[in-house]
Amino acid sequence: MAGKAVRVYLGTRKGTYVAEGDEKRRKWKVRGPYHEGMDVYHVQPDPRHDGTVYAGVNSPWWGPALYRSRDHGKKWTEIAPPQMPVRAKRPPPNPEEDPRTVVRPIVNIWHLEPGPAREPSTVYVGVDPASLYRSTDSGKSWEPLNGLNQHETRSKWNPGAGGLCLHSILVDDRVPGRMYAGISAAGTFRSDDSGEHWRPLNQGVQVSFQPDKNPPFGQCVHKIALDSADPSTIYRQDHDGIHVTHDAMEHWTRVGKPLGDDFGFVVTSPATRPGTAYFAPLHSQSRIMKDGRLQVYRWSEKSRKFSPTVAATKWAGSFGTHREGLASDSLDPPGLYLGSTTGDLFVSPDDAKSWEVVPFRFPSIHSVEVSVAPGRK
Amino acid sequence: MATVDLDGMLREYVPRRHLTSSAPTLGALLEELEEEFPRLRGKLRDETGSLRPFVRLFQNGEAVDRANWPEVRLGERDKVDVLHSIQGG
Repeated sequence: MAGKAVRVYLGTRKGTYVAEGDEKRRKWKVRGPYHEGMDVYHVQPDPRHDGTVYAGVNSPWWGPALYRSRDHGKKWTEIAPPQMPVRAKRPPPNPEEDPRTVVRPIVNIWHLEPGPAREPSTVYVGVDPASLYRSTDSGKSWEPLNGLNQHETRSKWNPGAGGLCLHSILVDDRVPGRMYAGISAAGTFRSDDSGEHWRPLNQGVQVSFQPDKNPPFGQCVHKIALDSADPSTIYRQDHDGIHVTHDAMEHWTRVGKPLGDDFGFVVTSPATRPGTAYFAPLHSQSRIMKDGRLQVYRWSEKSRKFSPTVAATKWAGSFGTHREGLASDSLDPPGLYLGSTTGDLFVSPDDAKSWEVVPFRFPSIHSVEVSVAPGRK
Repeated sequence: MATVDLDGMLREYVPRRHLTSSAPTLGALLEELEEEFPRLRGKLRDETGSLRPFVRLFQNGEAVDRANWPEVRLGERDKVDVLHSIQGG
């Protein structure tokens, strides 16, 4: 079949779903649920291997689990999560020993991130309690990145409402060895040596909820996104507003104040629109969009302004988003995909000039990711 | 040999509902089960060996203390039930 296949992978409160369409992004066929009934925090396609998808599946009964698919999410195989080696006996934790031997049980799996293109079998996973793991064999085994997991500041990290979660991992292919991580509520960190050493970099992001408003770490970052053209530019949705850095996190500038309440969880920057990022601000107390309607804003680096992208009369409702709830594809014009806590998937096929809603009522949506494949299969 | 009954929720990970075991303790029993059915690893116990919150073990119909369950001795005529509580909405 001609044309490019666009697949939207959704992690929801009750399982994994896949919406399939073509490059027009107007009509969608939904399949699922997979991992039915489970709390799926993140479903991540691996762009280096067409068809490969990872899912972080959480359950209060079974604990966290990782799954991998090789066929665009039709069949799933459970793979070993971090800290669950293939042996039955587990040494009990002993805090009096070297703290690096202390085992912190994983509460939830939050984010899966493919490694750089030059390392096609490398995958990262971020979990609660805040820890980062790396697999160099496509998820068969995992190693902790203790430069971050045992960071000297760790004893002062505090959990946010969702737990002490490592929810953002960015691997910048353009700068070898450079990675970023976001932890609620420890802030953002950067590594320049492929994850061995990490520095907290939060200067310019205030912390409204503690006595010291300008600490070097402890910020409640919610999501970060790389600019596709400038490796030094990163967009940040924080508990304390929308920020941008132009020096790879050395300094941050709050740009969201013109929006009034610039609280929110999501951000995405389309690959084919450098200098542009999208945000969906929420009321900071209720965690739903203001004025009882869907709202998505475009930030332009050129104009240094926000502009609304959804007509005020378009969709009424009490929409919320979780931190993985907004994604963009790699097409031109870029498609934008917003999954809401009400279970709606809103799609713009034209760089947010127009929006439609997929005619399927999903469970509350945790995460949205998109893959674009050369042809439909 | 002690008899072991697993609840229906575990069917995805263990193909049989009724098993027998000569494990001397409950801790040894769970390790034996995880060895025989590797997908069970992590489902009943977390990385430190603690029971997951919704798992309960019963010995001859009596709930086993969550604090020291691994050391509980098993006899030949004992019956062990591994149950999940289903609760909430």
